[in-house]
Amino acid sequence: MTGLLESDQIKILAREESVRGVLVRLVLEQAESADLDEVKLLEQALQLLLNRFQAMEGDAS
Amino acid sequence: MILRSIEMENFGRFQGQTIEFRRGMNLVIGPNEAGKSTIAEAVPAVLFGTDRLEQYKPWGRNACSASLFFEGGGRTIQIKRNLITDQVELVERDDLYQPLSQFSGKAPLRGRSSSCREYRQLLESLLGVTDEKLFRATYYFGHQPQDWSGDELAQNLRTLVSGTAEADYANILDRLLDEHFALTRSNPWGRDKQRDREYEDVCCKLEKLGPVDVVPVFVEIDDSTDIAAQLEALSAELADDRIEYEKGLRYVDHVRSSQVATAASDSQTPVDETSQAAGAAGQHDLREQLAAAGLPENPPVNLQELLAEAAEIRQEMSALQQPYAALGSREKKIPGVPWTVLLSVVGLLTLVTAAAWWRQLYPLPVASIAVIVVACFAGFCGWRFWRRRTAQAECSTERGKLDQKKSAVQDRQSELSERCEALGLPSSPIDLVRLQKLVSKNLELLESYWGLPAAERPGDGVVEQLPQSREDNGKAGPGDDSPPAGEAQELEARLAEFAAEMDRKEARLQKLKAQLEQRASAQQVNAGGDGAALLQRKHELETRIRLLRKAINLLVAAVDEFGRSHLVHLNQEASRLFAKITAGRYAEIRLDENMVPSIRVQGRRWMPAENFSKGTVDALYLALRTALTKLRDDGRSLPLMLDDPFVHLDQKRLAIALNMVDLASVDGQLVLFSHNLELGKRAARERWHVVPLDENTAETRTDEEGGEHAGQLHLL
Repeated sequence: MTGLLESDQIKILAREESVRGVLVRLVLEQAESADLDEVKLLEQALQLLLNRFQAMEGDAS
Repeated sequence: MILRSIEMENFGRFQGQTIEFRRGMNLVIGPNEAGKSTIAEAVPAVLFGTDRLEQYKPWGRNACSASLFFEGGGRTIQIKRNLITDQVELVERDDLYQPLSQFSGKAPLRGRSSSCREYRQLLESLLGVTDEKLFRATYYFGHQPQDWSGDELAQNLRTLVSGTAEADYANILDRLLDEHFALTRSNPWGRDKQRDREYEDVCCKLEKLGPVDVVPVFVEIDDSTDIAAQLEALSAELADDRIEYEKGLRYVDHVRSSQVATAASDSQTPVDETSQAAGAAGQHDLREQLAAAGLPENPPVNLQELLAEAAEIRQEMSALQQPYAALGSREKKIPGVPWTVLLSVVGLLTLVTAAAWWRQLYPLPVASIAVIVVACFAGFCGWRFWRRRTAQAECSTERGKLDQKKSAVQDRQSELSERCEALGLPSSPIDLVRLQKLVSKNLELLESYWGLPAAERPGDGVVEQLPQSREDNGKAGPGDDSPPAGEAQELEARLAEFAAEMDRKEARLQKLKAQLEQRASAQQVNAGGDGAALLQRKHELETRIRLLRKAINLLVAAVDEFGRSHLVHLNQEASRLFAKITAGRYAEIRLDENMVPSIRVQGRRWMPAENFSKGTVDALYLALRTALTKLRDDGRSLPLMLDDPFVHLDQKRLAIALNMVDLASVDGQLVLFSHNLELGKRAARERWHVVPLDENTAETRTDEEGGEHAGQLHLL
């Protein structure tokens, strides 16, 4: 596991009953059995998606 | 856990009011602009902070805070937030009032510090919430649009299930797909696109070039732009930090000097030479900066007042110009007396009369007519002359008044000029205008100068008067304004921490610069040949495409998983509630994979929800929102807040919807905000807790002291 996936923020998000929460749980689950490159890609993809959620909130507001 | 009360101090229209709530149903009722939405917004503002401070901070006041009190399970939780500084005080106590956990620190809305993390973790463990958007998406039912159109309802529902209050997962997916298809025609989710995209073009060019010898420098993604942006942001942040650090240093100097002055005054010993030297050095530096900015060497503390007075005088002078101009124009318009015409007419008629007498041609009638004409004309001229004199007298009186005003303003100007000269400031109005511009530009510098102790500003006339006035008021003594002992050490420690943080940022800045240079040199190496550059680009594109595909697949899988794990339950719960609201007319609703709702009609046919009336759609939305909230928080640790969501329901459905929310409130707590006074009767019947608001919010009442149902009685 890498820094992002072990962060408190991710742990909190993983408990959410939402698409975002399910997404984080899915990534954590896949990262458990992935090799280092795959974990890195998963982390980058998760970061990209969470940024998009955040960016769209910015757009909307 | 229920919300027991909200205390608001300088929060919107509320100044020192406490709003009490109870378990079950609470009704906050009042007309528009009574402060209902402000109360509703106080909850997330205290829990998470706000970026709409200006909306809540009363104009002209530098204070805005609110507190929430939660109670339940033998515990109480008090959270107080100063919305200006984002300082939060959280205390959890047991039933013996012993603290179980507490937090004190800054926790702004988008803060990422360790203090913020600590606060959010505590908030999650105590109330089960950490995210403002999710809180709003779960516990808030606000006003709905007048008409749901097209995909709006589905979009709203997608946003709510996304876990935020504003971001729709389908939009995110669309944007990712667009980005992917802008890079390649390859489509792993269906048939490939027709037209070649950048990736195919690059591959094609590489094929034409043949084997490329140059080994590309490995760069996963062309992140030069990101690095440059980070570099710019960090540079700006560091520049701000340096300014803050300088300010801190000056303040520490000031605190130290004040403490030395206090000690010297207490012991009646001369001030330490070192502090004097330090003060003199600071003073010298500031004076140099002031001189460089074109400001006077010893700007008095009341400089801004003087300049404001000068501006006021200028305004008065310019205000006088208009009546002067109007008066001049009026004077010009006063009609003159046609004396010349009268003389000409008299002369002409005299000649005619003389000729008539000489020729003996009706001499008497001609003479009579001539006399009458001259008399009439002379009368007209006399009337004009009288009018002119009157008008001139009026103008003269008005001019006298204006001259008096002008003279008074000029006197004020002279008096101000004398005061300015006495303080070593320029006295002419033009120079004062120039000075005002300089002051507004260099206000920070001036405040730093004024922040110095009075002893270091010998030229300051106003400050020189202060000791006298203090003695007059019986509050003399340098110790009155002195900072507490130990503050300097604490400030120094904080400054040291701040400096260390700046060093870390500086190191990060250097690292980013190095990375950027590395990227630039890599690009230069690749620029050695077309083949190398193309290979590099191909690699970048492949990395980006791989990342986008992973993100898209993850999001699609997450949406599917959410549908599988939650949608059936959500549909069942929402259908149950919807059937109750519509009194069994519509027994079932369904959300498809895109969150588009349909309603089953007559037990068999499904129709899109948007085809139904506004009231039905509102009822459907209410049912879905309630089901979603139940899904997320069955334990109900926080109250549901309903801000007039029933405005479009007819009376019958409103009654049923209220039954539903009343039933929902049995499990926990529900706060309904409404301007509908009819609800007051219902509240009285059902024994809801009522918080009446009126337009004079300062007189907001709670019915705590009036017995269990005083609120209802008030409405009755």
